[in-house]
Amino acid sequence: MKGALALTGLWQRWVWRLQSTLTLRMTLFYGALFVGVSILALYGTRMAIETYAEKSIRREMAVGSALFDRIAAMQVSQMAQAGNVLASDFGFREAVGTSDAPTIISALESLQGRFDLQHALFVGVDGTVVGHVPGMSVGEKNQLFDALDMGRERGVAHWGGENYMVAASPVRAPILTGWVIFARTMGPADLRQIARLSSIDLHPRILPQTGSDIGAGTVKEVARNGERILMQARSVPTLVESAPQILVLEYSLTRALRDYAPILWALLGFGALGAVLAIAGTFVASRRLARPIVALEAAARKVSAGQHAEVAVETRDEIGQLARSFNRMVNAVEERERQIAHMAFHDSLTGLPNRTLLREQIALALSRHGGANFALFCLDLDNFKSVNDTLGHPTGDALLCEVATRLGETCPQGFVARLGGDEFAVILPDGSGSADQTGRALVKALAQPFDVNGHRIVTGTSIGIVFAPQDGRDATELLKNADLALHRAKDDGKGSHRFFESAMDAEAQARRAMEIDLHDALRKGELELYFQPLFGLSQNRVTAFEALLRWNHPEHGMVSPVQFIPLAEETGLIVPIGEWALHEACRIAATWSDDIRIAVNISPVQFRSSTLNSIVLQALARSGLAPNRLELEITESLFIDNVEATLGSLHSLRALGVRIALDDFGTGYSSLSYLRSFPFDKLKIDRSFIIDLLEHDGATAIIRAITTLADALGIETTAEGVESSEQLEILRAEGCNQIQGYFFSRPIPAGQVAALLEKLSGDRLAA
Amino acid sequence: MPNLRFALILLSCTASPVVAGDLNLKLVDAAGRPVSDAVVSVRPAGGIPAGPIRFPWPTTMIQQNVAFVPHVLIVPVGATVRFPNKDKVRHHVYSFSRPAKFEIKLFGQDETRSYTFKTPGAVAVGCNIHDQMTGFIKVVETPFAAKSDAAGTARITGMATGTAQVTIWHPLLRAKDNELVVNVPIPGSGAVSKTVPLTLRAAR
Repeated sequence: MKGALALTGLWQRWVWRLQSTLTLRMTLFYGALFVGVSILALYGTRMAIETYAEKSIRREMAVGSALFDRIAAMQVSQMAQAGNVLASDFGFREAVGTSDAPTIISALESLQGRFDLQHALFVGVDGTVVGHVPGMSVGEKNQLFDALDMGRERGVAHWGGENYMVAASPVRAPILTGWVIFARTMGPADLRQIARLSSIDLHPRILPQTGSDIGAGTVKEVARNGERILMQARSVPTLVESAPQILVLEYSLTRALRDYAPILWALLGFGALGAVLAIAGTFVASRRLARPIVALEAAARKVSAGQHAEVAVETRDEIGQLARSFNRMVNAVEERERQIAHMAFHDSLTGLPNRTLLREQIALALSRHGGANFALFCLDLDNFKSVNDTLGHPTGDALLCEVATRLGETCPQGFVARLGGDEFAVILPDGSGSADQTGRALVKALAQPFDVNGHRIVTGTSIGIVFAPQDGRDATELLKNADLALHRAKDDGKGSHRFFESAMDAEAQARRAMEIDLHDALRKGELELYFQPLFGLSQNRVTAFEALLRWNHPEHGMVSPVQFIPLAEETGLIVPIGEWALHEACRIAATWSDDIRIAVNISPVQFRSSTLNSIVLQALARSGLAPNRLELEITESLFIDNVEATLGSLHSLRALGVRIALDDFGTGYSSLSYLRSFPFDKLKIDRSFIIDLLEHDGATAIIRAITTLADALGIETTAEGVESSEQLEILRAEGCNQIQGYFFSRPIPAGQVAALLEKLSGDRLAA
Repeated sequence: MPNLRFALILLSCTASPVVAGDLNLKLVDAAGRPVSDAVVSVRPAGGIPAGPIRFPWPTTMIQQNVAFVPHVLIVPVGATVRFPNKDKVRHHVYSFSRPAKFEIKLFGQDETRSYTFKTPGAVAVGCNIHDQMTGFIKVVETPFAAKSDAAGTARITGMATGTAQVTIWHPLLRAKDNELVVNVPIPGSGAVSKTVPLTLRAAR
């Protein structure tokens, strides 16, 4: 069992080896083919020789038996002739007629001597036999008479164990009185004598037909003493019909083939030699054929392992072409790999390294021995979004390319990368000038107008700067901190650069914590609405309250809206918070007297959400507040982009019956054109103008201009941030409709509204 | 010839007053073909009547066209047969037969010799010059003998009633001395007909 397993293993290993090498396979195949062909040729030749030999022997046998017939016929006719001479002799006939035996015998003997005949007899018609043949029995004599009586005269006879060739001549005196018989022995010696005339020894024998195993007229092959012997038998004319005799010729086929053995041996030898040559030739040829394939295989293995490999092209044939194609393929693959690598690490638009490569570069620089000192600049274009929106993306892209070029020119020794969008970064190695100077240079360079696609574009940049290694241990931290610095730069007014300070990080973390808390604030009921009254100067009473959000943080106490509203807007939390505020404001306002309105601020984020209309409608429906008591305050920033959509939204809100007020009027990108496009119900003059009233002379003129304009358009005006009676007097004089500010009341919780109204109506300020 | 036959009948009537019958034999070979030139001789019941025997044909065997004519001749014992030569060639007539051994040499044209046959039996006659010439002379002791004709029939008349010993001879008959003996009852009057098949040797 173990042995069989080992054998199977050996066989499998052998088969595997056979299948794995082309050389061995081809050698075996062609070797086997040649050996097969040689064996076939050898076999074919042997068959042909055998057939030829057998044919030759048969032909020789035919010739031999014909020869035997001829010779036998000749001898018989010779004897018959002699017999006829005697039979026609008158004296002999007289002796026969008178039954003169001594005369007959003497006559027979006389003729016997004359013709050299071996035996002579006379047989009378009455059956008497005169003369003598040694060993001839009475039965054989009677047989002879019967044959003669039946008219047979020639043929072979078997007397006394010997074969004789016999010729009988009838004696007529004048009627048939007997026969003269002449005979000669036809023993093996005589037959051999005849056989000697044939080219091969056919070993002729005469045998009785009965008892012999071969039929007359047939040829058959027998095996005797390990030899193949071809035997032919043919009947010979016999005197006694009842004892037919056959002539048997035979020849050893084995012996005949033995003569051809040298040819076969020579053929075998040449075949073996040929097979050896064929195997050797195929081995050499297939090795030559397989060598380039092996080389190709090795090269392919190297390529798949990521190494560069080429194979030598040695020939012009198919394999040479394969080698050429392989080399072309390797080059093409490598080229594509380079392209893909470039794409992976570079920005396709500007061709600058991308964020990935920048991070790698930072990691590389940080890992250098001892840690390198370098500065990382993060840049963000100012107002790039409006360039894209107003001039289209192709122009925006072209601008980015120009910016990239300018960055490279400004920092020739720096590593410039594009982080995405309008963000860029520069790594500046230590010792290539002060970071502050570079920051300035960059801001200045990008502040220069760009000429792009026929447009003159003025943009600017804000830059955050960090130093490695002190501002961060890795690329992530460095980039994050640079980003914080960048945001600070943006917050501090665009077009400047800021260095990262660790406080920024703390602030950012605080901001993040607040973001998380704000997320829960609404659910935990930490938010609250405060209300600040708007005092109608002509009515001389409180005509409305503005709802203001307050966050009562469980740890930090009251959080200023200035702090958390921008955060809510950034994170999108303003949408649910705004919805809650609308509902809450309407619910509380509904408890007031009908002549007091409620004003609610709508954030731009909230305004752009598609659900605002339905939320307003719900708030009104649920509180039962009359739509005209609700005043929605929006800011001018909504008109900066997509004026059409903003106008559409305003009209649909107006269709609900609510009032629309424009907040912080005069501070933003004020364009008077939209005052014409939409009939606002109210303008709220920004507090900055009100503060200026007492300090700048021109401020009064601006207030007048606004109130006059609003008057002309039929729009109410509200002044915000009124803190003194002087301000009140000026505003009243300039025709302002409503006053809002600490002069009357700071924002108060809902519960104090009633008391406030009481108090204000109590000491109603008649001027 | 009719006179002769009549005389013969007359003779027999006078010799034996008993009533006589006839024999009609038909001789055929194994294949049923008629056999001609067979000699039929009869020894009637009561033996052969005494007196000289005469046959109604001449005792002559002519050599004509290198053949003996007739081929078969029946003669009574003691008859002298003449051998006239009607050919232009010579003949050497001989016989080695036991009943009559003789030799008559070199006849000229129209030369006639004779030989007297004293012993009954069959005598084969040949010519030493022309081997193909054979003839047979059947010497008989009975007046009741006849030769079958081309139709193989032989008719013998006027024999005594009773069982007759009929001997049939033919040169090719396969039997001792070429003879076959059969007994045939001869009726008182009228004829008895009998067909006898013969086994013949091939002619050589």
